[in-house]
Amino acid sequence: MTVFSSLFKQEGGSEGGKLTAKQRRFAYTSLTPILFYMGLFTLFPIVFAMVMSFFSYTPIREGSWFLGLGGANPFVGIDNYIELFTGTSKPAEVFRLAVKNTFLFTALVLPLNLLITLPLAVILETVNERFKTLFRAIYFLPTISSSVALVIIWAYMYAPGWGLLSIIFKSIGLVPPKSWLQDPNTIYFGVPLAMICVVVAHVWQDFGYNLVIFVAALQGIPKTLREAARVDGANVWQEFWLVVVPLLRRTVLLTSVLTVISSLQVFVIFQLLTRGGPKNQTQTMLLSIYENAFRFANNLGLASAMSMVLFIIILTLTVIQFRILRTEWEY
Amino acid sequence: MPKTKRSPLWLLGKSGAYAVLLLGLVATLLPFFYIMVSSLKNEAELRKTPPDFFPQEPTLKHYITILTDERIPIERNVMNSVFVSLMRVGITLFTSSYAGYIFAKYHFRGKNLAFGVILIQIMIPFQVVMIPNYLLVVKLGLIDSLWALIIPSMVDAYGIFMMKQFIESMPGELMDAARIDGATEFGIYSRIVLPQMGPPLASLGIFTFMATWNDYLWPLIVLTSPEKRTIPLLVVWFQTQHSSNQGLILAASILTLLPIFFVYIFLQRWIVDQATQSAFK
Repeated sequence: MTVFSSLFKQEGGSEGGKLTAKQRRFAYTSLTPILFYMGLFTLFPIVFAMVMSFFSYTPIREGSWFLGLGGANPFVGIDNYIELFTGTSKPAEVFRLAVKNTFLFTALVLPLNLLITLPLAVILETVNERFKTLFRAIYFLPTISSSVALVIIWAYMYAPGWGLLSIIFKSIGLVPPKSWLQDPNTIYFGVPLAMICVVVAHVWQDFGYNLVIFVAALQGIPKTLREAARVDGANVWQEFWLVVVPLLRRTVLLTSVLTVISSLQVFVIFQLLTRGGPKNQTQTMLLSIYENAFRFANNLGLASAMSMVLFIIILTLTVIQFRILRTEWEY
Repeated sequence: MPKTKRSPLWLLGKSGAYAVLLLGLVATLLPFFYIMVSSLKNEAELRKTPPDFFPQEPTLKHYITILTDERIPIERNVMNSVFVSLMRVGITLFTSSYAGYIFAKYHFRGKNLAFGVILIQIMIPFQVVMIPNYLLVVKLGLIDSLWALIIPSMVDAYGIFMMKQFIESMPGELMDAARIDGATEFGIYSRIVLPQMGPPLASLGIFTFMATWNDYLWPLIVLTSPEKRTIPLLVVWFQTQHSSNQGLILAASILTLLPIFFVYIFLQRWIVDQATQSAFK
């Protein structure tokens, strides 16, 4: 990750040589408001979210003078976390289900996404330049579209009975489900139908992103390597598996981590298409955080603890991502 | 490239490749297309089971209703989205290029620490700061104000990083010459650095615009009254309030998509390239 590795770079000699006092003053006075701003809107919120997760916190209750913490919003230690993992209250039970669902969603999205994007990228790489640009542009279209509008589109596609998907199913001789999104009893291989529908809609919306990355990575493979393989008598198939695939490994690994991180944070589709239902089968961590913090709004401490759990998962993945990026790979 | 013999097998492979690509194309575009043609159906046709794919008597009435009905403050909502998007683009471009300039061209003690503090933002997922930022916005009295969408997003760490990278590659001679001619440090930024930054500013601007235009979760949290809504919130409100009127909902979502599509048609190549690059920064 060049963003962070640039931090550790040795400072090169500045073009202007030593800064004058005037220049240094300019740099400091310009950066001070920006850093102050970052402190207020990034650092303070992180710390406050951590602190809040150890309190029973409701904003309407009068706490102490200090950010409303203490007093009617008492310190409860790790009670919120204990409640989340072992408690029997409704939010805690729903949250544990949400953790499971979030992982299930991610575990389905990642392979499906790769299964579509990798072959498609390889095929796309073989067609001529003008078609390639056109196809790439169209596949990318859903990723730049408003998620809200896309959810409306999919709600319409999944409409029971008369939705386009039901029609397509009937026309090819399959029996469409009575209800795509609301039937809690249709389960395939342990995965509720509603979850499958959300996965499909999400992958449709998101695959263009990985696709363009893979196309770029394929273009980045030096032509000489493939030609060398061919000179050595490799056929197209061998060339692909023995030359292209090993060289793509880093990109695929990295893209997978990024896909997992983003899948853990999907919100709109869950909140609008299935609303977490039926029977919480599509309830996710972020949806739980949102609902506890802003819809029920009765315990922000608990909601903060939930957000910390999600944060730790994402942070772990981010560290893995940096590890991959830091590894030197050479052709 | 070595010459490939155009054997029947080659032809088969080639047409197979195009068949797969076309299938992907249809799968991508069909939902958009179906919604677009369906938004032109009248109520009777929308209720028909099974529905016809194409409207028999295409009508623009849903669009006209959305655009003219006084109970739907769409002008306000569009203006809100435009206002917030433009403000955020303008502010982000300024803070990113300005801070990027300082990080690129000035060397002072604590610089790496300062840059590190800014980069923390990239590592923090939105949902972690969502609850505290909401409380902060309440404290600042910004709830149900469009400023609640602007003020917490005035500094973009990724934007600063991007601009820093770009400015680092600019030669310093021009800046030094200007300095000798008596230019102020801010003058060097505004008159020498900024005019050279067209391409990176444009791509940061486009991405900021699209992200703001499509943003949903944060506006959902901080905006409450109908006349403050941005476009995505309006669409969702349609979906909950007018669920019986499919035509209106479909037309509203098409209207949400159109501005972004319009931008995309002209800039698709650039947008796709930028998105590809940014994944590996």
